[in-house]
Amino acid sequence: MEARVLKPILGVYCAAFILFLYGPMIVLAILSFQGAGGGPQFPIIEWSTYWYRHLLGMTEPGRISRLPIGDSLLRSLTLAVMTTVVSTVLGVVTAQGFRTRFKGSGVVFYLVILGMIVPGVLVGLGMALLSNLLGINRSWWGTAFVLHVVYTFPFAFLVMLAIFNRFDRSVEEASLSLGVSPAQTFRRVTFPMIFPGVLSAMLFSFTLSYDEFSRTLFTSGRELTLPLTIYGTFSVEIYPNIFAFGVLTTLFSFTLLLIYALLMLRAVRSARSFKGQEEAA
Amino acid sequence: MMEFAGEQVQGAVQAQGGENGASPAERRARQERRTALMLISPGVLWMALFMVLPLVMVIYVSFWTQTTFTVEPTLTVDSWVRFLTSPTYLASTWATVRIWAVVLAATLIIGYPVALFIGLMVRNQTLQTALLVVCIIPFWTSFLIRVIAWRPMLGTEGAINTILLKLGIIDTPLTTLLFSEFAVLVGMTQIYCVFMVGPITFMLSRIDPSVIEAARDLGAGFGRIFFKIILPLSLPGVIVGAIFVSVMVLGEFATAASLSGRKVNLLGNIIVSQVGSLKWAFASVAGVILTTIIAAVITVLLRIVNVRKEM
Repeated sequence: MEARVLKPILGVYCAAFILFLYGPMIVLAILSFQGAGGGPQFPIIEWSTYWYRHLLGMTEPGRISRLPIGDSLLRSLTLAVMTTVVSTVLGVVTAQGFRTRFKGSGVVFYLVILGMIVPGVLVGLGMALLSNLLGINRSWWGTAFVLHVVYTFPFAFLVMLAIFNRFDRSVEEASLSLGVSPAQTFRRVTFPMIFPGVLSAMLFSFTLSYDEFSRTLFTSGRELTLPLTIYGTFSVEIYPNIFAFGVLTTLFSFTLLLIYALLMLRAVRSARSFKGQEEAA
Repeated sequence: MMEFAGEQVQGAVQAQGGENGASPAERRARQERRTALMLISPGVLWMALFMVLPLVMVIYVSFWTQTTFTVEPTLTVDSWVRFLTSPTYLASTWATVRIWAVVLAATLIIGYPVALFIGLMVRNQTLQTALLVVCIIPFWTSFLIRVIAWRPMLGTEGAINTILLKLGIIDTPLTTLLFSEFAVLVGMTQIYCVFMVGPITFMLSRIDPSVIEAARDLGAGFGRIFFKIILPLSLPGVIVGAIFVSVMVLGEFATAASLSGRKVNLLGNIIVSQVGSLKWAFASVAGVILTTIIAAVITVLLRIVNVRKEM
């Protein structure tokens, strides 16, 4: 009885919540089409793609300087790829180690998980102090990179741990005892089974690293990554070009997500067709 | 490093001794354990060198002597005394705790009904997943962009003021929306709320509907069902969500920096500004205090519910 009243009320509330989550982004997207003379607020003086062209350097140089995103975008992408590779490998290897019970596994588990919990500003500060002490130059591909892995490796580890928990070990053993070489077994048996996990770990690592900011702030040295460039504009007056940039990066992330979904779909399909073969035989 | 090498040597010695007397099964188990240790060591080493060591460094440097542009490794408690006797820094410690408490409460109060709807009311699995995905999608926008998006929303000529003026609710635009503590609270609540909704939804969706049905058949009203069944069963989700939100809010500085107009200075902001002026020892003191607060909060939260047992 009460549930019948409660459900529509909560439904409306949930819709309002989703509006709360999306509202600012919608406003930002609308304002990114502000005309050339307009500011980062209402009213829209004229609908145009001026700020998108401004961002890409396709307008006359004017009073407002272009966002310096070219180099920093390249750095951020490189850093994200480096982080993805290392943290996925570390995640797979460590989770593989956890398939055997060993003394101190609890401590190791919490040590790894701590990486995603500890605030970026703290490890960033610590890493800056450490590089000062050791006389190492801070750089995005060095000090910032190792911190990005500290952050993303726990995510990759957790994903792989979940995958290995559901993993039937006897399949691997059957392959080995049938005389298939360990390398072949990994390629033909183990890898296809853990592939969806590896893909998820890579997606996590890439997106987290690409957007990571507080860990990079103290450790990247003079060459800035993309989030640092954006942060730099916070202290000065903002213009709609940053809104246009927000829209473009969001579209870029969705493209990544779409690629992930397609690859995942293919993995699931091929697994299904494999099962079908077994049944037919 | 030394300890690791020692362990490996010990392991090798044990293995050699074992090969004489132990059964093949034991030998195999030992072999497997050695492989496992080898597999986990790169990850452990990485975390020890690049996470534990920097954190230890923060504690260590907080006792160094601060000169104008550098720090020297002469141990002193000067920075600590200066921090603990300065009204400005104590005020920012208090602001950190206050904003954490308000945001935590806000995410719980706003997020719980949403979790209740998605986890308990929606019983269609596809719709449930779809709603959760809708909640997660904003995370694919850059964090800093999500923060800055509140500026055109809350500003004097922003969306909210424009709408309120058009509706005739107010005559003059509200100026306290942006560049105030309110803006920081709203921004943080919006950004971190989903971390509360997720775990609670997960716990709620695991409740067996027949338990609630049984209670209803026995004549319990909704209030009683909620407080006796739903709330206790969802508590581990609340705690996990609270840990996520707490850790992220306490370590924050970007939202305060961009939405408060420098009116709100959290401990994170202190660290950033002190590093900016090369006051490393002082930044480290703020870092240690921040770590202590986070550790205390997590300890208290874990006391409430044994999360590991309940999950």
